[in-house]
Amino acid sequence: MTATQRLRARKAAAHTFLICFLVLILVPFVMVISASLRQGNFAPSRLIPDKISLDHWKFVLGIPYQEVVNPATGQTRTVKADTPPLRWFWNSIKISLLASAGIIFLSGTSAYAFARLRFAFRHATLSALLILQMFPMVLSLVAFYVILDFTGQYAKWLGLNTQTGLVMIYLGGISNYIWMIKGYFETIPPSMEESARIDGASQFQTFVRILLPISLPIFAVVFILSFISYMSEYPVASVVLQSSENWTLAVGANSFLYEQEKLWGRFAALAVLSGVPITVVFLLCQKFVIGGLTSGGVKE
Amino acid sequence: MSEGSVEIKELVKTYTDDRGRPTFTAVKNISLPIQDGEFMVLVGPSGCGKSTTLRMVAGLEKITSGTISIGGRVVNDLEPKDRGIAMVFQNYALYPHMSIFNNMAFGLQLAKKRKDFISDTVGRTSKALGLDHMLERKPNALSGGQRQRVALGRAIVRSPKVFLFDEPLSNLDAKMRVQMRSEISRLHAQLGSTMIYVTHDQVEAMTMGDRICVMRDGLIMQVADPLTLYRQPENLFVAGFIGSPPMNLLKGKVQRREGGLFFVETAEKNGLVFPLRGYLESLAGNYVDKDVVFGIRPEHLSDNIKEGAAAPITSTVEIAEPMGSESLVYLKAGAGNLIARIHGEHLYHLGEQVTVQLNMDKVNLFDAATENVIR
Repeated sequence: MTATQRLRARKAAAHTFLICFLVLILVPFVMVISASLRQGNFAPSRLIPDKISLDHWKFVLGIPYQEVVNPATGQTRTVKADTPPLRWFWNSIKISLLASAGIIFLSGTSAYAFARLRFAFRHATLSALLILQMFPMVLSLVAFYVILDFTGQYAKWLGLNTQTGLVMIYLGGISNYIWMIKGYFETIPPSMEESARIDGASQFQTFVRILLPISLPIFAVVFILSFISYMSEYPVASVVLQSSENWTLAVGANSFLYEQEKLWGRFAALAVLSGVPITVVFLLCQKFVIGGLTSGGVKE
Repeated sequence: MSEGSVEIKELVKTYTDDRGRPTFTAVKNISLPIQDGEFMVLVGPSGCGKSTTLRMVAGLEKITSGTISIGGRVVNDLEPKDRGIAMVFQNYALYPHMSIFNNMAFGLQLAKKRKDFISDTVGRTSKALGLDHMLERKPNALSGGQRQRVALGRAIVRSPKVFLFDEPLSNLDAKMRVQMRSEISRLHAQLGSTMIYVTHDQVEAMTMGDRICVMRDGLIMQVADPLTLYRQPENLFVAGFIGSPPMNLLKGKVQRREGGLFFVETAEKNGLVFPLRGYLESLAGNYVDKDVVFGIRPEHLSDNIKEGAAAPITSTVEIAEPMGSESLVYLKAGAGNLIARIHGEHLYHLGEQVTVQLNMDKVNLFDAATENVIR
């Protein structure tokens, strides 16, 4: 085999591997889209449905449609969701946006403290955060329930079955974001902040006017990550939110899967829908995720 | 007291860990008065406490004990912005997301100065520094020298009483460094402000400083003007640190032999022996049979000495570095090596036997035990 042939063979092997990999990722995605467009709720048999039906999408988008009840007589009925799934969609976006914004604020400020200030038990606290975040949130479900039940007695808006309560619980999951942002802050030379301090900036002004603008990329990343994770979070939301008008998309979608009947079509349509805000947020944040923001300020 | 004077008194800096337990003392009780308008250079090897001292003057580092006064006012508890200082950092520390104009104007904007005052001040300063055509650019579009000039400009617009420089030239290439060196010296002459300049480069220290403070291990070794430092080092450290190539230092003893006192180099064989006459004899009187260090600068070894007492030694050339008007010749003599800076264009060859004369009027004797000069 000549060198060119060997190179070609290697290229072919690499491409085959990558294509298989892509198929592995894309097939489930295509299956979900196809399920949302297929008539009925049978498990998908073929990738491309024989007959395209928009019924599931109409249901999800809250548009009434006719469904055949009895094929023999041709009797139909109008189907419309009790709670419009778009409401869940809106709930999810609202909760994810609020929680992500809160997380940026909380983890950004704490990361600044951990990266720049010196205080007792700094290292111990950091390690504790790292260890605590290794336990999944689900483990504390019971505790969340009890806590919200308790706070609800004093502040209704912070009790069980409230979206604010859920956001509050989500805000607890900041430890890995603190680590991420702290790591980024530590790559920024302190002399930049010191020089701002000499210029007369207070600690807060330094944080807001010097550190924040330079740290936009990491905040964009944290925002995307937390937004995605809360758009799709199920266990906590399903326990906290009980009435259907408060549900998030994940909880709502799951409600289509009854023991007796699994409405895969509606589930799939909702799942595809949930990808839209994630994509939008990603595209919006992407332009901030650019390298080299700190370049030029200091000589490394 | 004039407003640009800086008085450092019994200053101590002990670093602590997160819980406030002391870990390391970087500055060990130093006192240093700096006059109004003086260019004071703090120089020393890394870890000697020079930067820590500067950062305490700036207010970036908390003072453990002692006081720092600027213009007669104790500033220990004042914020950096209230101390009347400005600082230029080694890594420029510009704000990368701001234009050059905003970089320079940031301090004035925070101080809520009027808009036209700010643009006027920044405009004037940037013009003087040759930056006026790049005010809209971001720092990353500038070269290293230009960036440091922006940092300089940012310091100037604050019109401080005291300028602080923390190794501002170490990140620049050799040519830029020489240019910026004279630029800072010119600035000092123009503004007449007090400047405190930290460097590890003794050439920078010698060429720029009105006075130089040599530090080691958190202590001041000597404070003097450049020439005094060069001619009359107070201890072995300063003698070895200042000057390039460094002073020749020979270990040995003072011995009384026939005909007076002699310096005898410690060696298994062929140790050098120099007669101590005149002022050296009176200095060495108390050190008979004691360990001393004999110091002589390379330029005081010569192939012909016209004046002063000379002591000839025979030596072999090990390395010769012809520099044009002079040669640095590394000689093997006695127990070790000597460096001679010999004028003239004579070309020395490896292994050549040379007889050089030591100018005994320029010798410094040090007490080997205390490392201090004998006087």
